[in-house]
Amino acid sequence: MTFWLTVAGMVAVTFGSRYAGLALRFELPDFWVRCLHFVPIAVFAALVTPSLEGGLGEGEIRVAAACVTGIAAWRTRNLGIAIASGMLAFWALRWVSP
Amino acid sequence: MDGVVGFRRGFWAMAPLWLGVVPFALVYAVLARDTGLSLLETQALSALVFAGSAQVSAVGLFGSGAAALEIVSTTFLLNVRHVLYGLSLGRRIPLSRRQRPMAAYFLTDEAFGVVAGSGERTFAFLLGAELSLFAMWNLATLGGAIAGSAITDPAELGIDLVFPLAFLALLVPLVRTRVELLVAVASGATAYVAAKGLPGGLPILLTGVVGSLLGAALTSGRPGEDVDVENAVREVA
Repeated sequence: MTFWLTVAGMVAVTFGSRYAGLALRFELPDFWVRCLHFVPIAVFAALVTPSLEGGLGEGEIRVAAACVTGIAAWRTRNLGIAIASGMLAFWALRWVSP
Repeated sequence: MDGVVGFRRGFWAMAPLWLGVVPFALVYAVLARDTGLSLLETQALSALVFAGSAQVSAVGLFGSGAAALEIVSTTFLLNVRHVLYGLSLGRRIPLSRRQRPMAAYFLTDEAFGVVAGSGERTFAFLLGAELSLFAMWNLATLGGAIAGSAITDPAELGIDLVFPLAFLALLVPLVRTRVELLVAVASGATAYVAAKGLPGGLPILLTGVVGSLLGAALTSGRPGEDVDVENAVREVA
């Protein structure tokens, strides 16, 4: 039940954001336009760091894998390749580390 | 008749971006199943919310036992950028009162990027591009949800690492200026420290608000429309 209530809330705020811009003819002040521009950057960064280390004492190789993903994302700009190369690096490092 | 032609053009204009969307939907669906969501729940998020990064973060938060309010607030933060796309599209494409809700429901970074980059100015083209992505996102979700349930011991494999890697891969293309880099690093550090003391989704909310205010305070003027278009396209590529 909580799940579906959460989903209803997610739909409301997502649809609301998508509809607001189309329906309303207003000019946002520059400060808030810039603020919206930085929201994904701040939130994506916040979703990376807390869960990077993991709970199994594999922090070092997980961070190394993240470096591989970061470089792959920068060079290829391809989400699938970036994630796959990081995971492969992680499994390879796990395999070679004692 | 023109409508059908426009719709088809929009549908196929989105096709090159399927390549970027399919792996993301697969990652989402595998993580969702790993967290314990049912096939129906996994698919429902793709059909009803239809917002990749918000779906992945929601799944992570479900897994960590976050409160519903935290998940909804994080979703809002992740999706509020669509206001900008709507404002821009509303000026480009004449939409009737009845067309607006439908155009809004299926609006994504990708659809905005394709329409803004194409110069097409019709509702049919917009809807074609939007539904093209919606169809592929949901098909790939279904595929991933079925495949995901075949992974027997996700913890042993370290599948949870996909979560931060996915967001890192989404973040990197967005960072081009010094201020953007500064905001990314400061936000990463803030969230890391905040997560030591605060539960669930609160560190993300706090960081999202502080980081975006920081970015706005350190820049001036209005980011050009071209920059936004570029961003939307790069985010998916």
